[in-house]
Amino acid sequence: MSEPLLEIKNLESFYGPIMAIRGVSLKVDKGQIVTVLGANGAGKSTLLKTISGIMDPEKGQVLFNGKPIQGQEPHRIVEHGIVHVPEGREVFPLLTVDENLSLGAYTRSDKAEIERDRQMVFEYFPILAERRSQEAGTLSGGQQQMLAIGRGLMLRPQIMLLDEPSLGLSPLLVQEIFAILRRLNAEAHVTMMLVEQNARIALDLADVGYVMEIGRIVMDGSADRLMESEDIKSFYLGHQEEGQRGEKRWKRKKTWR
Amino acid sequence: MNMQVVKQTGPAQIEINGVSYNAEPGQRPVLVDGCDTVPKLFQARCMALQERTAHREKDMGIWKSYSWSTYWQQAKWIGLGLVSLGLKRGEVVSILSEDRREWLYTDMGVQGVGGIASGVYTTDSASQLSYLVNDSESRFLFVENDEQLDKYLEVAAEMPSLLKVIIYDRDGLHDLDRDKCLFLDDLCALGQAYEAQNPGAFEAGIAESKPEDTAMLIYTSGTTGMPKGAMLGHENVLASMESGARGLAVSPDDEQLCFLPLCHILERNVSVYFPLAASSTVNFAESPETVFDNMQEVSPATFFAVPRVWEKIYSRVLVMAQEATPMGRWAFQRAIKAGQARANYVMYGKQPPAGVAARYAFWDFMVLRNLRRMLGMDRMRRGGTGAAPISPELLKWYWSIGVPLIEGYGMTENAGIATINTLEQNLPGTVGCALPGIELRIAEDGEIQTLGLNNFQGYWRNNEKTAETFTSDGWLRTGDVGRIDDAGYLTITGRIKDIIITAGGKNITPAEIESRLKFSHYISDAVVIGDKRKYLTCLIMIDQENVEKFAQDRKIPFSDFASLCAATDVLQQISQEVEAVNRDFARVEQIKDFRLINVLLTAEDDELTATMKLKRSFVEKKHKALIDDMY
Repeated sequence: MSEPLLEIKNLESFYGPIMAIRGVSLKVDKGQIVTVLGANGAGKSTLLKTISGIMDPEKGQVLFNGKPIQGQEPHRIVEHGIVHVPEGREVFPLLTVDENLSLGAYTRSDKAEIERDRQMVFEYFPILAERRSQEAGTLSGGQQQMLAIGRGLMLRPQIMLLDEPSLGLSPLLVQEIFAILRRLNAEAHVTMMLVEQNARIALDLADVGYVMEIGRIVMDGSADRLMESEDIKSFYLGHQEEGQRGEKRWKRKKTWR
Repeated sequence: MNMQVVKQTGPAQIEINGVSYNAEPGQRPVLVDGCDTVPKLFQARCMALQERTAHREKDMGIWKSYSWSTYWQQAKWIGLGLVSLGLKRGEVVSILSEDRREWLYTDMGVQGVGGIASGVYTTDSASQLSYLVNDSESRFLFVENDEQLDKYLEVAAEMPSLLKVIIYDRDGLHDLDRDKCLFLDDLCALGQAYEAQNPGAFEAGIAESKPEDTAMLIYTSGTTGMPKGAMLGHENVLASMESGARGLAVSPDDEQLCFLPLCHILERNVSVYFPLAASSTVNFAESPETVFDNMQEVSPATFFAVPRVWEKIYSRVLVMAQEATPMGRWAFQRAIKAGQARANYVMYGKQPPAGVAARYAFWDFMVLRNLRRMLGMDRMRRGGTGAAPISPELLKWYWSIGVPLIEGYGMTENAGIATINTLEQNLPGTVGCALPGIELRIAEDGEIQTLGLNNFQGYWRNNEKTAETFTSDGWLRTGDVGRIDDAGYLTITGRIKDIIITAGGKNITPAEIESRLKFSHYISDAVVIGDKRKYLTCLIMIDQENVEKFAQDRKIPFSDFASLCAATDVLQQISQEVEAVNRDFARVEQIKDFRLINVLLTAEDDELTATMKLKRSFVEKKHKALIDDMY
């Protein structure tokens, strides 16, 4: 088997004295979409932040193309081709769409290439072309999310780390954005690591899934297998088991098998 | 222990911690403060103690106290409510609930009106529930909440003997409309009304109770065949109090923590009957998950738990120690060392030399007393362990940090208590000497047999099994194999039924090997296989927390439990653990191969008992593929 593009081994991260990630190991193969599911506070965003260098791990390794990159400064990590699309968009509100996209390509120098990629972004997100000289802060939430993803693409990343792209968006917009992510993966072969609370749409998109609970991985497998799991169905997909009284307030116990 | 001879009519009395017992244990009538049945003692206690705190329970994050008067009143209303709905003396009432004070109110209410209380584990499935209700022919069923109610509803049609189902907790059930169901307050209202019409009815019912009446059914987990209901009478319970007062003395000011299932004889004794004798206060843990936090809040004086719990606390401390500063780690190690030096003396009941004692005093002041406070063990006078074998190293570790931990032995059929080590007379590795009033012998085939007034009355409607359990001269066959040394200390080596006869014709007691394996921190339980086979193998359930920590420390990547079990380094480590155990056994008794059970089992699974022990027969059936793979 070929080497995974991104491999995480026994990672531990702390917020002060609080251990947010308690030993996580996972793999992302080239061309794959891997999703990490979990409730609030499970440590999903921390995991992405640790990969992209915003946080330093206490223990463990992050291997990119087989080389350890953990603990490096974020700008060094970006140069390896790892792009982090943060939770809550975080575009530069006072800069225009165009300027935002240009910042995404700040590590690159080939002007012609950059222009080509800008056109590619506009092709995937036509609305951004229309608004290219508008200040990013005046865009709608969905458009900002598109801009954040587009800004990431401007780096020509080897892998994109997406932190809850569905957050705060209408169901229709979520569909739209996920359809674009699927196209990006299929056509532009962008490898993705996707952190989501919206399990249904994430598992629909992803090849492989991991479930995190309080800083640990409790289950992993192909997206199809996870979809079938009783625990995933009842805790992440909102399936209601048939109760004895037509209503059911209590939840089954998780077993993660 | 404060003992004083008291003169009275009837058997000569002796006072232990302010309670009078027969001076000569094992004599009829068994009396505790002059009472010969549980309800009589219950009445005496409630009348005397009134507004003193009997129980504490946490409600919305705050510990609330409940008095003996409340205990009395609630039990009375429950008992009379059941009578008004048709409960007759000698009929069974089942209780399906986690530990909470209502469980005890129901127990005492049912016994007060001459009924028999039978506990059902909350981890039991609906079909198990229907088996237990039908086997005991229960007339009433108490369920804790909506979750347990749904279990009943699933099999409601299969349980014709049930008159009513009483629900403790109303949450989420306000619009419940079922003929057979009512809430606890409704039942209490019925009881209150019944009392108004028949004043003194509850007291009269209590006066009618006789020592030979059955007080409760305790269903034994049944590793083979269906569970059997062991009948324990009032005399059995009082005999166990009588012995308990000598080996496990509790004083009126003691705080205790109730957290193991009350369906189990161990917790029932420790949290219901012994406190009844001693007038101590019982605190209910919020849930099995919060035991350690609750322990810190309560800081109990005595604490009885199964080895698994002691293991968990130990693991937690090791993790805490590893995450400490280098200075802290160094101090911790020195402190443990000083503690161990002292433990070599004190755990055998000897005085440590002055130097050892002084060194301990220093480290106790610097480190250990803080550790005990963090664990909620700062007031712990005595810790107890039983129901499964515990590693002597673990016992010593607790003595080292200043927590005296002793091991005892008993089973449902002898009301939970037969032998115990005491703080004064302790031989680690054994389960102690027979308690006063209980006789002990080893039969020719090595089986441990006990005789005493604590021996149960028999299995509920199962004379055949009852006859099998007693010898012709009336001793109880425990089913355990063991030996008694010259000083009277009992060592248990295994279960008689589990003896493996290999294809080579060699008899092997698997429990001996299994308990040695279990002493490893990485192995939570093991089942040795080899009956009619060429060699021995075993299935191992790893301790999730400790193995995860091991993998994390060694940088062994894993994701879920199955991948942890499949990691080469983990398998290698377990293999080393097995090898280490093998060294202590003869060649034919050595484990040639093993497999890990790679699903994380819960108490709901058939393979585990409610106290999280593997059940041999189920394990052999469910994991047949793994076993066949080894031969």
